[in-house]
Amino acid sequence: MTSSAARVPPPHKEVLGHMGRNAAIKRFDAHPDGQPITLFETVSGRRPAIAELLGTPWIRRASELPSDAGAGKRAETDVVVEWDGDSGRPLAFVRGGRTYRVEAVVQQWAVERGWWDRSRHVSRRCFRVFAGGGTFDLAYDRLGGTWLLTGIAD
Amino acid sequence: MAGAFVHLHVHSSFSFMDGASSLDELIARTKRCGMPTLALTDHQGLYGAIRFYQKAIAAGIKPIIGAEVVVETCGIAEPECDLPPARRLLLPYLSGFGRASAAGFHLTLLVKDIRGYRNLCRLLSAAHLCAVTEDGEGPARSVVTLHDLMRLSEGLIGLSGCERGEVAAAVAAGQPWRAREAAKRLAGCFSPGDFYIEAVHDLTTGSPRLIAGLADLAEVLGLPLVATNDVHYVEREQHRIHDVLASVGAREALPGPLLRPNAELSFKGATEMRRLFANHPGACDATLEIAERCNLDLGLGAFHFPGMEVPRGETPYSMLAKLAWRGLEERYRPVIPEAMRRLQYELGVIEELGFSEYFLTVREIVSFAKGRGIRCSGRGSAGDSIVTYLLGITDADPVAHDLLFERFLNPARRQMPDIDVDFDSARRDEVIDFIYKRFGAEHVAMIATVNTMTAKSAVRTAAKALGHAPDVVNSLSRHLPWVAARKIREVLATYPECEHHPLREPGHELLLDITEQLDHTPMHLGTHLGGFLITREPVDTWAPLQWAAKGTVVAQYDKDDVEALGLVKMDILGLRIHSAISQTVEMARARVGAEAVPEPFELPHDDPAVYAAIAAADTVGMFQLESSGQRNLNTRLRASHFEDIIAAISLFRPGPLEAEMIVPFIRRRHGMEPVVVPHPGMGAVLRDTYGVIVYQEQVLQVAKAVAGFTLAEADSLRRAMTKGRSRAQMEKLHAGFVERACGLGSSREVAEEVFRQLQGFAAYGFNKAHAACFAVVSYASGWLKVYYPAEFAAAIVNNEPMGFYSPRLVLDDARHHGIAILPPHVNASDSDCTVERDGRAIRVGLKGVLNMNARFLARIVAERAGRPFEDLADLLRRTRGEVDAVASLIRIGALDGLGTTEVGHPPTRDEMLAVLPELKAVLAREGVAGDRTLALAPARARARDATGHVSGWSPARRLGAELELMGLAITCHPLELCAADLDAKRVIMAKDLPRLPDRTRVTVVGVRERAQTPPTKSGKRTCFLTLEDATGLLDVVVFSDALLRAGETIVRHRCYQVEGILQNNPERGVAIVAEKVSPYVVRADRGEAVRLRRGVGLGPMGPQRPGAGAPEEESWEDVGVWVSADL
Repeated sequence: MTSSAARVPPPHKEVLGHMGRNAAIKRFDAHPDGQPITLFETVSGRRPAIAELLGTPWIRRASELPSDAGAGKRAETDVVVEWDGDSGRPLAFVRGGRTYRVEAVVQQWAVERGWWDRSRHVSRRCFRVFAGGGTFDLAYDRLGGTWLLTGIAD
Repeated sequence: MAGAFVHLHVHSSFSFMDGASSLDELIARTKRCGMPTLALTDHQGLYGAIRFYQKAIAAGIKPIIGAEVVVETCGIAEPECDLPPARRLLLPYLSGFGRASAAGFHLTLLVKDIRGYRNLCRLLSAAHLCAVTEDGEGPARSVVTLHDLMRLSEGLIGLSGCERGEVAAAVAAGQPWRAREAAKRLAGCFSPGDFYIEAVHDLTTGSPRLIAGLADLAEVLGLPLVATNDVHYVEREQHRIHDVLASVGAREALPGPLLRPNAELSFKGATEMRRLFANHPGACDATLEIAERCNLDLGLGAFHFPGMEVPRGETPYSMLAKLAWRGLEERYRPVIPEAMRRLQYELGVIEELGFSEYFLTVREIVSFAKGRGIRCSGRGSAGDSIVTYLLGITDADPVAHDLLFERFLNPARRQMPDIDVDFDSARRDEVIDFIYKRFGAEHVAMIATVNTMTAKSAVRTAAKALGHAPDVVNSLSRHLPWVAARKIREVLATYPECEHHPLREPGHELLLDITEQLDHTPMHLGTHLGGFLITREPVDTWAPLQWAAKGTVVAQYDKDDVEALGLVKMDILGLRIHSAISQTVEMARARVGAEAVPEPFELPHDDPAVYAAIAAADTVGMFQLESSGQRNLNTRLRASHFEDIIAAISLFRPGPLEAEMIVPFIRRRHGMEPVVVPHPGMGAVLRDTYGVIVYQEQVLQVAKAVAGFTLAEADSLRRAMTKGRSRAQMEKLHAGFVERACGLGSSREVAEEVFRQLQGFAAYGFNKAHAACFAVVSYASGWLKVYYPAEFAAAIVNNEPMGFYSPRLVLDDARHHGIAILPPHVNASDSDCTVERDGRAIRVGLKGVLNMNARFLARIVAERAGRPFEDLADLLRRTRGEVDAVASLIRIGALDGLGTTEVGHPPTRDEMLAVLPELKAVLAREGVAGDRTLALAPARARARDATGHVSGWSPARRLGAELELMGLAITCHPLELCAADLDAKRVIMAKDLPRLPDRTRVTVVGVRERAQTPPTKSGKRTCFLTLEDATGLLDVVVFSDALLRAGETIVRHRCYQVEGILQNNPERGVAIVAEKVSPYVVRADRGEAVRLRRGVGLGPMGPQRPGAGAPEEESWEDVGVWVSADL
């Protein structure tokens, strides 16, 4: 079932700016009969909503569950990351020979623990990014000065 | 102001054992970040608020004063523990430090205006002071109640707190209903618009969710959201110090109780903060809005005196003037015109500056003390004023001693005068009680001090944080000198006593790094020794109060803060020499009659016997004249009148020593070099000091005489010279001085030379008024020592710790004066030392015996008043003394000669010790201890030593027990035991040194009394050792090269053999320049070593473990024998 009334134009920044948090999702009005099958006219049209969903605080992600059981792959592999110093975020990374453009930084956090014990010292700045249709955890290891792919989640 | 941000939640190092950055670092960072405003919100108080306020304004930054307090739980109706476990919130760890700490949810408070400041002070005071139970004990809660918050929130802005606030904690725990309730109740305590929901993005995985929850809550409740970063350190790297402090503050090893997941509580720039709150730009805008609304003006520069009630029709000035004129008649007989002129002038200045009330306040306190017979004396620059002299506050005549009022109160600079008064230590509490009663407890508080970390405390803090065991922490911090923590590596590398220090072993790099970074970090709030804050309004409207040790109330501000606020600070200092003088007079009057002993403070200062004793360096116990350096100076100076005592006190100070003023002074005094001054005016001014500028007052007089400065201008010049001015400013002063001097007829060369000398000495000169006030006390103590030596020595020992020397040395000195030292005895001794044999003997008191307690002492004295003790059993029966205390009495000889054994002679100490446990057990079981004859089984006790002494002990054993149990040498001097060995080694005795020629090579042996390493002009370390042998004191100088070899020996041992060159000339006095210092073990006839260290109390560190708790090894350890413990 499709409804022309439910179709929405791709969200524009200036439009979204007036709608507060989760504006890209709020664009889709509540519909008693459910949303149309074709919500998005283009691939790029759905990205803001996905990024918003991934970043939204009221969704609990499986990767955040204790023990991380089955939630996603955890990894510790070196990756090459293209970094944008102005915006303070990664722009792209290379994995398996393929370059993933970062479409959205879903979340970022920092880890600093065990500094008094060299064997347990961890010092990282982490970014959960939406790229190439997946969610990846990138971490800049301050001790080694290298980028790591630490997880492929959700 | 888009793109801007203000940090509103910031902790400095005044968040004790939590904040890692100093105020200077925070302010510098604020400036670098281009932020116009900075708030300071330390835990549970305003400890650093006043200096922050001053520093920020000086840096061009608007300060916001605030605090992060612990507030009572308000999101639930019932206590937390009544909730089902799943719904309970984990109460945050203790916030604040020491008695001001509390466990509970946080709330950030910011001051909008002066009403808010006063309310915050009262709020904090109410929280801290109501936290103690009625009996004055119990753990402090220091929690702000909602009732108080509602009552005292005017002028305050509230932020809901960091993640440890109840609102944020409830949101994070998924309990929005509780968060809502808490936020509503907290917001209800503040005026509309004065409460904000606080959000911190600390870059943890939960931060976005928490912030979103808080934003939703704010939206629902219609409250504004504000962003903060709960700053605990300026630079990210300082998170380690924060972790270390928090861990050790909680008495845990790292990671400590806070378990910080990262290092993101740093001082972030506006761009970074806005990036973190990109979804909530309004939260960052709110910081600017709050900053706009906070405009506190503390009105610094004004003075606030406590209320003085004056009779109707009078003013404080008129009262002061009347009292001063009355004092003039009493102090000056006949009244002299100069005194009248001075008084008139000073009263005019005091009136003009508005300080009459202050003088009346001090006078009232001093009058109370004198009225009660509590000995007291003013000190410091207050002695420069004739008004203080006439009011009875000081005792040195400012006219006679040429003291200048402008040095005390400069009419050109309106600055709160500071009158320090010393009171008899033993009766200081009576004065304090009076102050509380007179001004009201709510108007008086003690002033705080802020204790900061030195190398030793920083090493201990770092070691504890890194999880070292307590004994390792002790060993790592032992033997470290008192130096700044940042110098720890330099000290370890260069100080000889640290050559084998465990911190030099590999593996301590991190510990040393942390130690260096902890340099000068505030540790905790202390209480000033005698500083009181007295206010007209309730004191808690000026400063937050909290409990200090001993149940006193202390303000959270130190003396500088109090001065900055323009409040009255009174230093009620305890001076033990006053107690000793009072006790000496009392004992002497009891022996020879009240009329025979005059009041020592009222004596004319003209007794040649007193000056002879000072010139002969016979000054042990004399106030300010007894240290080894001072004794050396006394012999060179050869004082003959009161001005010489003032000069001696002034010359032996760090400044004059560093400027090397002593040598020209001595040489010129004794005609060894001519007195030369560049300007004739200086000759008149500096006549008493032979052309050397010794006193600060002389700087003023020289500027007046040579350049025509008024004394007020001259004092401003002196202050300018003293404080490190810029080159340009000094040049300006220089040019002005030279121009005015030339204008009065001096040549440019002369004016230049005078200025050069002023500049050179201004920073080093000593305040003559201070020295004169002290000299009055010095003379009084000297007079008592000369005429009542037994009473004086007994009083000095009774009031220990005081002065430069140990009680052992004071009694040894008395012995050198022919006074017998009698051992303590239960039938003869009081608690304190007393005088017997018509002033020819001192009976040692029982107070200082190891393991004695007040109850047992009182029982002994009370029972003995009825009839003397007959034997050990009698003592036990009548006093119920503890075994340890009675054993100490037996070992010290306090029961010698009591009772008889079955063989008909008094029991030996060994026999009494052998029977003691059994006797005590029988007494405990049956309530009696058999008949009065002490029957012993001789086989159980050790055989009596080959001695005729009633104790059955050899002199070595007796001496060992005396040193261990009392720290005294009653039987003899330790080195008398090894006289034969000293003879064999051709050791020179102290009494023989003055007769030997200069530059004689000598060997001496002495027990260490003091070791000092004062700063020297060259910067090289020189150790001044004060040793003592059986005939007197030995002064040894260990220069840096010898110190390199001897440093460790000096630190680790107590008795030394010193080989060196004798220096004996009028210019430098008598001293030994050491070439070699080696340990010397004191051995008795049979070869047993005598321990020189006093034992420590019972318990895990008690004397049953020789050396335990001792900060240094002893010579006796070389042979592993502890004579006194060998029962």
